[in-house]
Amino acid sequence: MDHERLQGFLYDMLLARAFEERAAQEYTQGHIAGFLHLYPGEEAVAVGSIRAAEPSDYIVSTYREHVHALIRDIEPKKIMAELYGKSTGVSRGMGGSMHLFDKERRFMGGYAIVGETFPIAAGIGYSILYRHLPEVVLCYFGDGAVNQGTFHESLNMAALWKLPVLFICENNHYQIGTEIHRHSAVVDVYKRAASYAIPAEQVDGMDVEQVYAHTHSALDRIRAGGGPYLLEFQTYRYRGHSMADPGAYRPPAEVRAFGGQDPILLATRELARHNPPSKSAQASDPAMDVIQQHIDKGFAAGHWQQEDVATMKAQIQQILDEAVAFAQSSPSLSMDDAVYLANQNHAHEVLF
Amino acid sequence: MDENLFYWQAVNIALDRAMEEDPDVFVMGEDVGLYGGTYRATENLMAKYGELRVRDTPISENSFTGLGVGAAMTGLRPLIEIMTLNFALLALDSIVNLAAKIPFMSGGQFPVPLTIRMPGGVAKQLGAQHSQRLEHTLMNVPGLRIAVPFTPQDAYGQLRQAIRSNDPIIVLEHDLLYFSKGAVDLDAQAPPMHRAIVRRAGTDITCAAYSLMVAEALAAAETLKESGISMEVIDLRSLSPIDWKCLQQSVEKTHHMIIAEEDSGFAGAGAELAATVQERCFYSLDAPVSRVAGMNIPIPFNAALESAAIPHAADIVVAAKKMLLERSQTS
Amino acid sequence: MKHPILMPVLSDTMATGRLTQWVKSIGAKVSKGDAVAEVETDKAVLEVEAFSDGYLAGPLAPVDQDIPVKQVIGYLADTAEEAVQTGQTAPADPVPASEVPPVSPPPKPSLPTEPIPAAPAAAEPSPTSPAEPVPAPQAFPGGPSEGHAASPYARALAFDLGIDIAQVAPGPDGKVQAPEIVAALLAPAQPPLNYGPPYRLESPTKSREAVARTMMAASATPSFRVTARLPIRELQHQAASRQVSLTVALSKACALTIQAYPRFNAVWTNEGLALRDRIDVGIAVEAQDSLITPVLRDAGAKSLADLQSVWKDLLNQTKSARLGPKDYSGATFYLSNLGVYPVVRQFDAVVPLGASAILAVAAMDSDGSAQCTLTCDHRVVFGADAAHFLTHLASQLATPDSLW
Repeated sequence: MDHERLQGFLYDMLLARAFEERAAQEYTQGHIAGFLHLYPGEEAVAVGSIRAAEPSDYIVSTYREHVHALIRDIEPKKIMAELYGKSTGVSRGMGGSMHLFDKERRFMGGYAIVGETFPIAAGIGYSILYRHLPEVVLCYFGDGAVNQGTFHESLNMAALWKLPVLFICENNHYQIGTEIHRHSAVVDVYKRAASYAIPAEQVDGMDVEQVYAHTHSALDRIRAGGGPYLLEFQTYRYRGHSMADPGAYRPPAEVRAFGGQDPILLATRELARHNPPSKSAQASDPAMDVIQQHIDKGFAAGHWQQEDVATMKAQIQQILDEAVAFAQSSPSLSMDDAVYLANQNHAHEVLF
Repeated sequence: MDENLFYWQAVNIALDRAMEEDPDVFVMGEDVGLYGGTYRATENLMAKYGELRVRDTPISENSFTGLGVGAAMTGLRPLIEIMTLNFALLALDSIVNLAAKIPFMSGGQFPVPLTIRMPGGVAKQLGAQHSQRLEHTLMNVPGLRIAVPFTPQDAYGQLRQAIRSNDPIIVLEHDLLYFSKGAVDLDAQAPPMHRAIVRRAGTDITCAAYSLMVAEALAAAETLKESGISMEVIDLRSLSPIDWKCLQQSVEKTHHMIIAEEDSGFAGAGAELAATVQERCFYSLDAPVSRVAGMNIPIPFNAALESAAIPHAADIVVAAKKMLLERSQTS
Repeated sequence: MKHPILMPVLSDTMATGRLTQWVKSIGAKVSKGDAVAEVETDKAVLEVEAFSDGYLAGPLAPVDQDIPVKQVIGYLADTAEEAVQTGQTAPADPVPASEVPPVSPPPKPSLPTEPIPAAPAAAEPSPTSPAEPVPAPQAFPGGPSEGHAASPYARALAFDLGIDIAQVAPGPDGKVQAPEIVAALLAPAQPPLNYGPPYRLESPTKSREAVARTMMAASATPSFRVTARLPIRELQHQAASRQVSLTVALSKACALTIQAYPRFNAVWTNEGLALRDRIDVGIAVEAQDSLITPVLRDAGAKSLADLQSVWKDLLNQTKSARLGPKDYSGATFYLSNLGVYPVVRQFDAVVPLGASAILAVAAMDSDGSAQCTLTCDHRVVFGADAAHFLTHLASQLATPDSLW
């Protein structure tokens, strides 16, 4: 994989991580409120998959979608302003954290009822089919969504009518606090696609290169008229379900192991940093931070140096400072704005 | 040019013309294609427009309705038929959380030009699950518009308007209206979709009704005439938004109001009508607004009980006489 | 076993009756047809008849109270013992309202008998209060008000029309709605009683109430008056010699004149002119602080002797307040004779509802003639009709022989 792409992944993931941490900070300081579902740990999935898509493809995401929006190149300041509920937000302040929409980038929204992304994606897929266009819908969902009726209903229709939809499962193994073995009889999500004769794969979601590669080939296949496809990315979220969730249901050792917080692993990583291994790792290590793994691989392959990473982090820090300043200084919404929006689509109609 | 058409034919022609006029219009629902629709509303459309534009769906109400929302977000104009509104209960997430809210939550970036047709109401002995009304639920959803056509002319005109509109619109049709007949002028300029129409002018009392209940109200008005009572009958035509001005003008003239609804009275459409009319016309009312409504029980299967559970013209007559002629302390 | 006695329905317009007295006492034997009580209606005092034999038993409704018709006012017991056992205490409300719902407006609130100060108590200003009594602000429509429940529209209407809704009598359901406001609007204005001398209110008799009501209604009749001097000395002379009242003789003369001018035997109705085929003449009579009009039926055909005899009976019944609707209703022509008062030189009268005209006869002058004023319903007869009528009547009176 080429140098620039890998550097791009690194930047994307660092930005994603930093954005979410900044959002958490703003939240705890009381600047933003409501539900805030953060993405740390899962960055490789959004980065690898969305970077594999074309600008003409559609993204349908969930309520944990800040990073999808960021990677879709929606300006960080417009996302931050949306979290602030300001009119300069990407959804003009009417959506909030869980409802980011950007028509220009074909970012078709974050949906806050589990399982809603399936029919929306099917509908967009139907529209693509209707117009005979070489486009694909990327439909994101978590492992908890596959037990919702819409998963089965929509996969059935997508397969039946060969809709160009790539179903992307971000399997972080938890539906809020219920671990996958306690909510699903079949824990390998990709196997469920077989019921609808939809080809599917299970992929390491902690390895951004693999995510990218598998997404890319799936999209090619769909674009060629192969009908829907399903990718299950095995991943992990390091934080609770939302800001209100301490995540106490997970064994501390599990979190530490996945989060790379284990002191022994930390020490090992430090060592690796100073004595890079001669060959790149073959598979991601779930016990290592997803981004750190990517950094380490980059070190190993000579794609970047410590200073490069530091420079990126500094750049990102500045971008986020600006994003927060922008959000804070943006004008507040008035009720007139809301009433206008509620009525604008029939403004030209005579109702009575 | 007027044609005497069945209600279902008016719907059928409206769909045909809409599809002919706009290639972005497509029809989707259970048995709308090969079968032609359970009330024949989509008859012959699949043969004419092909499977992509007239799509038979699996029994997946929530997802094919949501599919309509997704397609509408990209600029298509889907017409979703839900076979009976009883099944729409399974599609409420798509209707309430998606169709009604996306245009707003997206900050206006994604209009949802979606039309959902659904027959409902009490027909003949279909049992409690198939004899419901849903207006009370849908009226309470900001972002939805609800048309309730009574005449074949309105079935045609309001459906055409709904498909052309950029808002998500629910068209509630009544099972028992499909085989009612009436003059339809296909080229007439339709009145605005939500305007209420005075179907019969009167001076003593106003009866507001919608859908099938307009027929009952008109019959009641004829009977009341014999008692010297002149009842104005208003066909609301729309339940969201509601043409308050029309109601207000009428009540300011008659000072008395009855609301006829097949829906259960408790928290039904009539509750909203009564509440708002008293807010707007309090000083014009000479008697409390009266609701002639369905009973607050599931609709019984037994024919006699089924009929007794919903209002008829005679009930409206009794209510009007009680209000105007038979004032007594027991009322 | 006790059988209820009900407030009887004694006329088509009677909604309540005022029990004036029980003519039997508890335990007294009563035969079928006996009067057990007397009731004053809007027209007369009438008897409450027993419809079976028995003994009067309580509880008896109190006297001097308006009681809705068909409400129980007392009982007839099968045995004297039973009648006496049942105590004499009269309940305030003889029957629970829920048992016998009143079919008419509930009794008016009893009127105070003590003098009411004419001016507000604030007439004596306190140092801190304004010298002028502050009038109570007019109730905003919809706000709480005294009196009966009223519809919002009725309140708004009353507010706009300046009607004090607390004074408006309610409808049959006990509530004030628009029709009651309209009725109040059409009702005569209340005279202002404030600031004048103190007064006390007296409840009018049923009969006076009825007169007031019919006179109000009659005031809407478009009427005109034509006055003539009519020679009545000869008639008076002949009547006196034959022991016939001058009034009866005048009635006969009028009846014969109506025969000649039958337009005067007609009544204006909404459907058209009601042409009567018999001439009934009503005569205004003073009766117990009121006015009543006993009717001489078929005055044109009956002989004066017959009429005199009928008249005597009618006067006796009037004195004992026993006249019924069949005795005082339905005349098409009326006569009011104040000639017995020599000071009365001229007057006119109001055409009662249902009549074509009324003739007012004043006292006879020394020349033997009396000033007579015919007040006519202009919808029924016109000025020339009245002139013809009076001319014809004058000749009848000048040569009264044909009356006998």
